Amino acid sequence: MIRNPYNLSFALANTAAVLGALYIGFALDLERPYWSMLTVFIVAKPISGAVRSKAVYRVLGTMMGAGMALFLVPPLVQAPMLLCLAISAWLGVCLYFSLLDRTPRSYVFMLAGYTVAIVGFSVVDKPEAIFDTMVARLEEISVGVICAAIAHSVFFPQNIAAKLNERIERTLNASATWIADALRRPPERADARSYQRLAQVVTELHLLYTHVAFETSEIPRATPVMRALQDRLAVLAAHLTSVQEALVALREQAPLRSPLVRFITSASHWARTLAEPRRTSDNRDIPPPWLGSFADELIDGQSLLEQAAANRLATLLKALEESRALAAVLKDPTSALPGHLQSEVALSGRGRLHGDRVVALLSGGAAAGACLIACALWIGLSWPEGGVAAQFAAIGASLFATLDKPSKVLSGAVLGVLMALPFGAVYVFAIFPMIDGFASLALVLSPALLLLSLMYTSEKLEPLALVLAIAFSGALALQATYQANFASYVNVNTAEIVGLLAANTMIIIFRTIDPVWNAARISGAGWRDVSRLAIGDSIDVQNWSLRMFDRVGLVMSRLRDENLPQALAGHIDPLRDLRVGLNIAALKRAECEFPASIQVDLRRVRVDVAGTYDRFANRRPVVARDLRASIDKGIESLTTQPPSASRRAGLAALTLLRLDLVPSAGPYVPEAVAA
Amino acid sequence: MIGESVIDGVFIPRVLIVFLLAFAVSLFIRRVLRSFNLYRFIWHAGLFDTAVFFALAWLIAEFTVGVTYGIAN
Repeated sequence: MIRNPYNLSFALANTAAVLGALYIGFALDLERPYWSMLTVFIVAKPISGAVRSKAVYRVLGTMMGAGMALFLVPPLVQAPMLLCLAISAWLGVCLYFSLLDRTPRSYVFMLAGYTVAIVGFSVVDKPEAIFDTMVARLEEISVGVICAAIAHSVFFPQNIAAKLNERIERTLNASATWIADALRRPPERADARSYQRLAQVVTELHLLYTHVAFETSEIPRATPVMRALQDRLAVLAAHLTSVQEALVALREQAPLRSPLVRFITSASHWARTLAEPRRTSDNRDIPPPWLGSFADELIDGQSLLEQAAANRLATLLKALEESRALAAVLKDPTSALPGHLQSEVALSGRGRLHGDRVVALLSGGAAAGACLIACALWIGLSWPEGGVAAQFAAIGASLFATLDKPSKVLSGAVLGVLMALPFGAVYVFAIFPMIDGFASLALVLSPALLLLSLMYTSEKLEPLALVLAIAFSGALALQATYQANFASYVNVNTAEIVGLLAANTMIIIFRTIDPVWNAARISGAGWRDVSRLAIGDSIDVQNWSLRMFDRVGLVMSRLRDENLPQALAGHIDPLRDLRVGLNIAALKRAECEFPASIQVDLRRVRVDVAGTYDRFANRRPVVARDLRASIDKGIESLTTQPPSASRRAGLAALTLLRLDLVPSAGPYVPEAVAA
Repeated sequence: MIGESVIDGVFIPRVLIVFLLAFAVSLFIRRVLRSFNLYRFIWHAGLFDTAVFFALAWLIAEFTVGVTYGIAN
């Protein structure tokens, strides 16, 4: 931890930021300078972009929350019950909206929620001071935020773009190796974990790239390139499994024919050279072409499957090649993109991840409930420090709501506060009485600050460091004059712990969610999305596939290996849903090239797929009976058309849909032969 | 730079206004520099930006010394 010079410079910068914030706070005679100190610790991150984005979001959120407190407290201060209800309701609503957005931006709403509790509950006994308290809080937070932002961008900042580029490079190499291997063998169980990892990386790239807009100025902003790259990465696994399934179905009928075998071998070889970091040959830039004849006149099940496999494999290689090109541009913005990619990049949408309304609602409810419990204790016991408990209930229930199991971390936070207490007590009761003036304060504080800041640089210790730093700053409660009182020290800190425990109780009650049940729900959202895509007119599949692939990661991370067979029986297979969606989109694109009579047949297929997915969503996991008939009808009518690229694409899409949705039906048999 | 401005009866420190103005201008300057890819000539962008900000703040404060509109007595 200390060996790395960046970690040391981060710790020094952070200590400087804390001391600077404290100094400014004391010099400006702010009410509670320790709030600035706390804020520095809250926004501190070893990456400058993350600090700066959090700084902006924190100021915005605090402004919203403080404004709301100004609006709520004066009219309701005579009716404590109503005030508590109003503040809790606002807290819940804000947390709900914040959880719908999974990017770092969600911090704005979360803060808007609990700042009302912080400002509102601290002025109920002197409501005439609400405006001053609000301004004071805003000033303290702004001072802390600005000190942190300056310190972390001036002292040897580490930028997030470099980290993301490294992560992309590793992911691309791993995916290329995986594709090279997977092409040569039937699908395995372990593949599921590979695409789960890929899905998590894509989601993380999406979340972390938000910070790049806030990075120091030399980092290029290339959001559209990143979005295009995500779209490519999101379809890799789907196309690969399509190829694998088609190959399995082909092998069941007969040994593979030699053009396809040659294509697969050269594709696998190409993917492997792509995975190697050093250039081994000059032709690695261009994926191998499909050299087999397309045999447009042959329409038996075997050649349809062959063509579908070759078609998807070509798409897969193209996506892989384009991801390489996009990653290279992200790394070195002066290099130019190939022409066809440039126009596609310009068109890429913003992309939205899966948002879970039910979990957001539960978390919002838990936060509001925790705040109400603490308020009830406060009013019922006429406990003078009860307001602090309500504040900490609100903070505790909000801060960790994004996690899967918040109660675990929250229990850790209670322990962290307990650990920080004696530490703080030593400072407050043994050291502070002996010192005078800012210079000596800085001297005695800096060892503790350095230690806490250094803990931030280790990924494992970071959550603990955050909790310890907040609790430590709170326990010190540095103010302009030394006022230590053991009774109030114990009282305030007990209130903090009671608040956190209230939050923990509510979270255990509301947010203990069975992961398998949750996976089924996330899958259900995916089913409705597939159905919408199938009937809707839009053929923009890019934002759609990012969202579906995000669900792949979410669902798979909630299912353990032993749950998988049971989940598959319930049609929980988000990757298949993504494949079906991609095939539907390919079908839609091909559709407009054909005469109206054929369009009717193809639309029938889409309507039947939508019907099947609606059934899934309504907990009737049975494929519609006429789906197979309508797909076969679609294939048959397409084969009457003259050979063309869209006929090929349409046939491949239909064949793969048939393989995914009616796997038990056996190979397609043309009607003429069957009759 | 010392003193307060009054906007619709609310006292606002002049230094806050100066800083906000300077920040807006520095955002614009950064965007222009980045669009011409000039940051490759700058050793330490974070430090440079901070310095530009303070230089701008000083300039703005210096040139608005005479401006008395809305200044509270």
